[in-house]
Amino acid sequence: MRRFTFLSVLAILVVARGQAPAPELKLPVAANSVRFAVIGDSGTGDRAQYEVGEQMARYHASFPFDFVLMMGDNIYGSETPADMKRKFEDPYKPLLDAGVKFYACLGNHDNPNQRLYKPFNMGGQRFYSFKKGNVSFFALDSNYMDPAELEWLTTQLSQSGSAWNICYFHHPLYTHARFHGADVDLRTRIEPIFEKAGVNVVLTGHQHVYERIKPQNGIYYFVLGNSGELRFHDLRPSPDTIKGFDTDRTFMLVEIAGDTFNFQTISRTGQTVDSGALPRQPKPNQTNGPIR
Amino acid sequence: MKLTFTGTAVLFLIVMISGRAQKVNPDARLVEEFEARINDYVKLRKQVEGTLPALKPTGSQGAIKHHEHELAERVRKERHGATQGNIFTPDVAAEFRRLIGLAMQGKDASHVHQSLQHAEPVRVRLVVNEPYPSGVPLQSTPPTLLMNLPRLPPDIDYRVVGNNLVLRDAKSNLIVDFIPNAIP
Repeated sequence: MRRFTFLSVLAILVVARGQAPAPELKLPVAANSVRFAVIGDSGTGDRAQYEVGEQMARYHASFPFDFVLMMGDNIYGSETPADMKRKFEDPYKPLLDAGVKFYACLGNHDNPNQRLYKPFNMGGQRFYSFKKGNVSFFALDSNYMDPAELEWLTTQLSQSGSAWNICYFHHPLYTHARFHGADVDLRTRIEPIFEKAGVNVVLTGHQHVYERIKPQNGIYYFVLGNSGELRFHDLRPSPDTIKGFDTDRTFMLVEIAGDTFNFQTISRTGQTVDSGALPRQPKPNQTNGPIR
Repeated sequence: MKLTFTGTAVLFLIVMISGRAQKVNPDARLVEEFEARINDYVKLRKQVEGTLPALKPTGSQGAIKHHEHELAERVRKERHGATQGNIFTPDVAAEFRRLIGLAMQGKDASHVHQSLQHAEPVRVRLVVNEPYPSGVPLQSTPPTLLMNLPRLPPDIDYRVVGNNLVLRDAKSNLIVDFIPNAIP
């Protein structure tokens, strides 16, 4: 009898483990939407990075995103073939096997020759753009924002023609994390270009926290630099922070459906730490519209 | 007599114009000298690169590292004996210090200083013709500083290391030259 009870409990545990509850999803999963994930400062090769990768794969089952944006610091420390496997290929293996593409930008810990590493889809360039549906993405090199890159960005944005323009790069223009702070010189140079061209969303990393900033001059700013690294309790309170999270690792899921930017930020343990739906801002030459 | 006078006037004008053309801004001359030296380096790097199989984006990190290493070794061999100051000659270095000083004055000064302080400063022993150490982060270079310095050919960049200005070859990861204590 005692043996029967033990086996029953064991069987229940096995069944329960096999039927893990579906993750909590706060995104519409609309037809023809643009779906992607965001990770930043991920390439440690530590257990926490793998656990974030597992959560991403879990969510991918119910929210099939097509690609992942990487905010830089893709590979910390050495970058031998074994390192690329341990710090990138293995943590995201289920996603890579499912055909999910990764689009990286360079962080200060990255060798710029990562642009040649095909799984990062940088096309051999340290800054580049690509388009998905009605969204244009601009991956920038904020380590080295020289006049050539600024000119390229200005031209590319002026020719975009997309409903949504999203720029992503490593160093945040706004943040309330203590360790590095915002890059004000970078902000002085590129924010006017963003404003003039009608950039809608800016995604960055570098600070090992998650932070959503109040829209600045009409632009939505996110910092997500804790998909591998973490700087515990690094955020200082600010009225300009809508949501901050600095006690665990995160990744973000995004779904752009028509004129709405839907997002859900999820922790290493599967907890939703932030979510929302942001309306598309009107283009700079438009006079009516929500917030710009 | 009339013809002689006209001829003399034309000759005078030619002498005046050519004399003016020869008056070159000394600062511009130093920038030109720097550009000529860096272009020579790029020419050498391209020649060396031509001896290696072309590298396109690949899934093989081993191939990327091998190419970087081979390119660096061959450039080092060709530049054997290169020392600090080969490209940043004393006069050119003085001009760069002046340009950096301009970038770090006025309304942008505090932004540049702040950017440098927040850019995860690194300490590296700099040796010309040696690779930038693997695994050491690259400090970001403030855009305002880059706007005030002469433009570089693709894949050559200015990097701030401590308070030194480094000229780095991104393809071979080699330190091409540097100016000690360039950043005030």
